Amino acid sequence: MDERFGLALVGQSAIQKIFPNHWSFLLGELALYSFVVLVGTGIYLSLFFNANTGETTYAGSYQPLQGVRMSNAYASALDISFETKAGLLTRQVHHWAALIFIGAIVVHLARVFFTGAFRRPRELNWVVGITLFLLAIVNGFAGYSLLDDQLSGTGLRIGYSVLISIPVVGTWLASLIFGGEFPGTDIIPRLFVAHVLIVPLLIMVLIAIHLAILVKHKHAHFPGAGATDNNVVGERLWPTYTFKAAGLFFLVFAVEVALGGFAQVNPIWLYGPFAPQNVSSASQPDWYMGWLEGALRLMPPWETRIAGFTIPNPFWAGVVPPGVLFGLLYAWPWIEARFTKDHAEHHVLDRPRDRPVRTALGVGVLTMASVLGFAGSDDVLAVAFNLSINGLVWTFRVLLFVGPLITGAIAYKVCLELQRRDGPLVDPVLVAQASSNGEGGGGSPGKVPPSPEPAEPVPADP
Amino acid sequence: MAEGSVPPPRRQRGERFPAALLALAVLAAIGFAVTYLVTSNNTQLMGLFASLGLLAIGAGMIVWAKRYMTPPHPEVEPRGRLASTEDEVEAFTADFEVGEFEMERRGLLTKLLGAAIAATGLAALVPFLSLGPKPGESFKKTKWTNGKYVVNEQNERVHTNQVGTNAVLTVFPENEVGNALSQALLIGLRPNELQVVPGRETWTPDNVAGFSKVCTHAGCPVGLYQAQLGYLICPCHQSTFNVYNACEPIFGPAATPLPQLPMAVDTEGYLLSTGDFSDPPGPGFWDQDRPG
Amino acid sequence: MGERRKVALFVALAIGATGALLVVRGPAEAGQSGGQGDPSGTAGPGATATQSSTGSNRGAADGALVEGGRQLFLTSCVSCHGVDGFGGPDGPNIQTAGEAGADFMLRTGRMPMAAPSPQPPTKPPAYNDEQIRQLVAYVATLGNGPAIPEIDTSRGSVQKGSQLYLSNCAACHNSAAVGGAISYGRYAPSLQQTAAQQVGEAPRVGPGEMPTFDARAISPSELNDIATYVEYLRKPPNPGGANLGYTGPVAEGFVALLIGLGILVLVIRWITRESGAGSVKEAHGKVPVPAPHVKTARDAHPATTVGEAEANG
Repeated sequence: MDERFGLALVGQSAIQKIFPNHWSFLLGELALYSFVVLVGTGIYLSLFFNANTGETTYAGSYQPLQGVRMSNAYASALDISFETKAGLLTRQVHHWAALIFIGAIVVHLARVFFTGAFRRPRELNWVVGITLFLLAIVNGFAGYSLLDDQLSGTGLRIGYSVLISIPVVGTWLASLIFGGEFPGTDIIPRLFVAHVLIVPLLIMVLIAIHLAILVKHKHAHFPGAGATDNNVVGERLWPTYTFKAAGLFFLVFAVEVALGGFAQVNPIWLYGPFAPQNVSSASQPDWYMGWLEGALRLMPPWETRIAGFTIPNPFWAGVVPPGVLFGLLYAWPWIEARFTKDHAEHHVLDRPRDRPVRTALGVGVLTMASVLGFAGSDDVLAVAFNLSINGLVWTFRVLLFVGPLITGAIAYKVCLELQRRDGPLVDPVLVAQASSNGEGGGGSPGKVPPSPEPAEPVPADP
Repeated sequence: MAEGSVPPPRRQRGERFPAALLALAVLAAIGFAVTYLVTSNNTQLMGLFASLGLLAIGAGMIVWAKRYMTPPHPEVEPRGRLASTEDEVEAFTADFEVGEFEMERRGLLTKLLGAAIAATGLAALVPFLSLGPKPGESFKKTKWTNGKYVVNEQNERVHTNQVGTNAVLTVFPENEVGNALSQALLIGLRPNELQVVPGRETWTPDNVAGFSKVCTHAGCPVGLYQAQLGYLICPCHQSTFNVYNACEPIFGPAATPLPQLPMAVDTEGYLLSTGDFSDPPGPGFWDQDRPG
Repeated sequence: MGERRKVALFVALAIGATGALLVVRGPAEAGQSGGQGDPSGTAGPGATATQSSTGSNRGAADGALVEGGRQLFLTSCVSCHGVDGFGGPDGPNIQTAGEAGADFMLRTGRMPMAAPSPQPPTKPPAYNDEQIRQLVAYVATLGNGPAIPEIDTSRGSVQKGSQLYLSNCAACHNSAAVGGAISYGRYAPSLQQTAAQQVGEAPRVGPGEMPTFDARAISPSELNDIATYVEYLRKPPNPGGANLGYTGPVAEGFVALLIGLGILVLVIRWITRESGAGSVKEAHGKVPVPAPHVKTARDAHPATTVGEAEANG
């Protein structure tokens, strides 16, 4: 083979690739390996699932639904759960892996944000990552909406209402996606194609791009241990990193299988088949949609009417917030560079404490999303803690704006305090290195950097 | 951390733990297969063996890597440069300009090529209109018409005496059971409990009122009825409507009242509608107030 | 060491949060169970026989029951509900509560109430079975109220019951019968601890905020099917494992993030700990940093070897 492709040279350069050794650099890998688990379990499930809304009479072994008319989709999901051997295990592993997948994406995203890993030259990879995050959410929603149980139908009904709330094109969009009015018979097969083909394919292509850019750029790394903007310090791909990464894959798989085996997730048999007139209390989406559910719940009853046209309430709560959040996320590398005037290439990461403004901002946004997420569970919280749901709604409405200010301010103060405490610990060798390497850029001497990292004057931060 | 000079006995001792883990993985894999073949779909037992096996492989590999593969100090690789040199850029530009020159010289062809590709691309999008019909009247009109009988979920006509005081019943137009936008909720009220909206005096025969069951916020069925307070609540986003005040919203995100169903009774006391809802039911949209 | 402390703290937090989730039903249930330890003992099939007989043959023998009930009523109920159950400032008119209303309120411990409140909590019944039957017989004489329905879950259909439950009851009580919130601090109680007999009585009575479903809306056999399904929901099979309190995606989200992702974060901390190379501990300069083997190639391809006897496993 080597004679045909010259693999030895390629191989040698590949196995010499250096991976910096910090736990937070493995967060993205948690997402990657969860995706692998999702694809594997998903293929197994797709062999048994029947994405068809035609009616059938359930004749499986779950007693309370025997003889009940339901869609083929729901019946086949029940059969996967009760008749197919290892079907329920696989279904549950798939669901847990999806919940962990998006969770890992969020913490990975947070790591990249707080350490400034999105700065030049990595802006484009940040954009790819945000798109992956978006696609993961879309595919998660499509996945649990496929099963045509009462809970998934309720979610689709809300999704449809949010769609038609979009000005001008809303009803067109909804009609094209659902093949007419809600619920119709087209949405389940279409979601299936999106869930098992279109979106996963996009995700795979984008993951490939994400990793290709990563290889080209090489890893960013934390300051210290001789790390500079001109080198990578860490462990080799082969064998050290390969063994650790492969081992991590098995451990990710193990945790997800353990949850799938011992924690019941999405017990669709309890929810019953979807009927548009039925609904259950405590109808929540999966966690990554919770913040949107919360926004819908907290929105005051405002509906805008302009010149005989209506902008309905769900638009303000269900379309604008995700639009603003993702718009800001996409543009963030350029927004921040505009404020810091720092357009230089960076391979040494910021420590969050050294960028107090950015850190405070990120903490504030995470607080806001969390408040919305809890607001999306307000009826469950009301029952659990014996509270008034109306009181909770008002509390969350206030917290939504006050909470981020408080946590942001605390984060800012903590950053400054940590900086101060770092002072005496500075290693003279590192300081010498940092100064001799020439910092990335814009190191105007407004204030003496309290730590050895290349740092702009603090107040000039975004 | 094994240096190259670590004496052999010690290393063998260090091997025992990862070796045991990997052996455990083999046993767990067998256990999983046997569980599948022997038990009748025991999710917990299969999950136990599978997770144990995966855990053992993963832990075994990592322990191995941590004990024997970690170099004593970090390795360093130069980053190289990302940007091209000026020479490289110039060489590329020169090569590229050969083609660019040809395109500039035949400006008409270049523009037409662009137009052709754009038009073809746009035309390829048109077939996606097949995905769904043009949104129309169906967003505003339901199956309730003058003289349509009110039926329950079994498509049986509903008599007013089936809806006693404080009772609720989900109903549809006859032969339209399950129609998402037409569903309505009948509520049995006490005399004079309902503040009648002018023009709707005759809509509640025998104190049975009918309202759309589709929340005007996000379309969930408004299924919770608080009989003492006369509140209808949507379990999805907690929009609360005061039934006694013609289902005006009093809490939550819903901004408009639930439309009321005009009803009458036939000679035997069975309920029928005398027309469509007082307003288009369900959540709002851009041109909901526009005719046609 | 500090790291270990952090790890321990995290595990404690995760376990605590999960524990809180697993008892999410706690308050609702605690209110509901009210020490009816074995509800089938107080009002299960055994009680069905006596109750249905009081419902069907009211004869002279009942005269004694009614009189006993009247005496009890005059000592314990009259202060709120007034003479002949006409009601008063502290309690509603209960003349049309009927047998079912009295039996429901007394056997779930909602009556007598310690202090007036919009939603009386459940507690252990204050009266014994004989006293309750006396009071029930007396209240039934006050007006035209619902009779105690005949509930026998051994004859009910769990299939029909599930369909009726999902269309009529789940909106408030939740599809898993764990209860739900309604407006202004009120709640639809969990049915997980409620005896089948009282589950059957509630729709007929319409206690509190609950709407009323009489025999024309839900037939006696349908009512029995619902009670049967609710009884099924008290111990449904959980083929998937721990039921997480039946709180749906909320609990699932916490488990996935705190336990699943939490464990995995601990795992990656373990993988990267003590390995030496380029770890952050050294970054702070507390550990002497060995001179790194710097390669000099300006090109992106690393070519030089490191020459360490590292991979000898």
